[in-house]
Amino acid sequence: MRHFATLISLLRDRKQFFDEIRRDYKTEKKIGSLLIASSVFLASYGAIIGASSGWLQMISSAIKLPALYLITLTICLPTLYFFDILFGSALSFGQYALLVLISVSVISVLLFSFAPITLFFLISVHDYNFFLLLNVAIFAFTGLMGIKFLYQAMQTIDRIEPAEAQPAVLEPAEIDTANDFLPVDALANREKTLTSSSNNQQTRKRLLQFWLVLYGLVGSQLGWTLRPFFGAPGEPFQLFRNIEGNFYSQVFRTLFTLLGWN
Amino acid sequence: MQTDLNELRITPSQLEKVTGLEVTDILMGKVYRPTVFRSTKRFLSFLLTETLTLGLILIFCLPLSLVIGRGLGILTTSNTVPFLLTALGIAIALFAIWNGWTWQKGKGLKTLAHLLDEVDKHNEIIDAVHIIDELGAIQNSTIQVIDREEILKALSATRESLLNALMTEKVLRKHQQFMARRQELFANIETNLATLQTLQANQQANEYGQLLNEALQIGMSLRQELEKLDRQ
Repeated sequence: MRHFATLISLLRDRKQFFDEIRRDYKTEKKIGSLLIASSVFLASYGAIIGASSGWLQMISSAIKLPALYLITLTICLPTLYFFDILFGSALSFGQYALLVLISVSVISVLLFSFAPITLFFLISVHDYNFFLLLNVAIFAFTGLMGIKFLYQAMQTIDRIEPAEAQPAVLEPAEIDTANDFLPVDALANREKTLTSSSNNQQTRKRLLQFWLVLYGLVGSQLGWTLRPFFGAPGEPFQLFRNIEGNFYSQVFRTLFTLLGWN
Repeated sequence: MQTDLNELRITPSQLEKVTGLEVTDILMGKVYRPTVFRSTKRFLSFLLTETLTLGLILIFCLPLSLVIGRGLGILTTSNTVPFLLTALGIAIALFAIWNGWTWQKGKGLKTLAHLLDEVDKHNEIIDAVHIIDELGAIQNSTIQVIDREEILKALSATRESLLNALMTEKVLRKHQQFMARRQELFANIETNLATLQTLQANQQANEYGQLLNEALQIGMSLRQELEKLDRQ
């Protein structure tokens, strides 16, 4: 399957994949492939976690889990794109979509790789709270890895972008000679451009960090809205639950219950 | 496969270059090839792609309508089933629209689809020659290589014709108006077809006779397609 081949090429040869993104090479095809491959992996993991509460929950979670990641991405993508182009990025919307899809794809692959472990605990340990926290830990870990991947991709592409704006790479000696023949104004202008480009790069880096926090917040809130993903033990199937509290307070409550503090 | 044969093959990357579209067994760009219904393997591949597309639409549509429905207060525990059925209906409608759009787009690529079928046939002939070569290489084999040079010459002419035809189709598809190069390409194809006809006349009945005949059929088919294009 060509969709999975695209994902494998991303995992195997990151450098080339990032370079292809920068060159806008087959961006649309890559988006389609990563969308399908990550949806399949996330749906598989969703089905496993839902299987703890019957087949209806299994189907529901298989749809909800990929939706959680992909809808969060869709909600947050315009923020990243418009703010970045405001600060000098030359990438297109498709290239940004592909960049953020990379993180979702990495998360999906890692979750899929955790599937046998989750399945093992699902079969061997009949403790709802343990299963819940185990999955929160897995989601947190895979999420961090995905974010790290996205961060790397953005940094790599950002590093290449301004370098490309320069006409040629000059040796130090050549730079001195070249500077000798440049009018003072041109030199000052070039320094100004370089400083401005570096400032923009710094701003975009900070912007990305801010966006990642935003992405996490939107994702956790959407996850809270779309729950249940696991289904409570002994309770009938629920497509949705009433919105009460938030994701973080529930994680702490479960942790306290597990530790016997509640 | 021997280098000379391999060089005669029209690869997917070459097809992509000359057509400007990504070509696979079932797709040309985003449009399905009409041949998806002619072989089980391709039909299964088509079904899988359709299932994945529907799945992707469902993944977006169902949870999103759930979030919107709850946010607007339309969705309650009492009307969950009708709400879900409506959301499912929207997803299926979107899927139908997508398919309708690709079908509509495919109508403009009929000539390309036909040419791609000819490319498949050309590559199949190369595979056949390769198999004959392998069988001929076995000691005490009864299969003899009679005139390999002639078949390679024929395949080379077919290959050139196919690439010319694909380029012409791309030019016409993109510009939809008279281009000077079209006549030149057309003349080239005519010359190659004449070469094929000569080769066919000279060739005695043997295992290559059939292959040459197939190459000639591709050439004839190409001329018909280009004549159709010329009339458009």
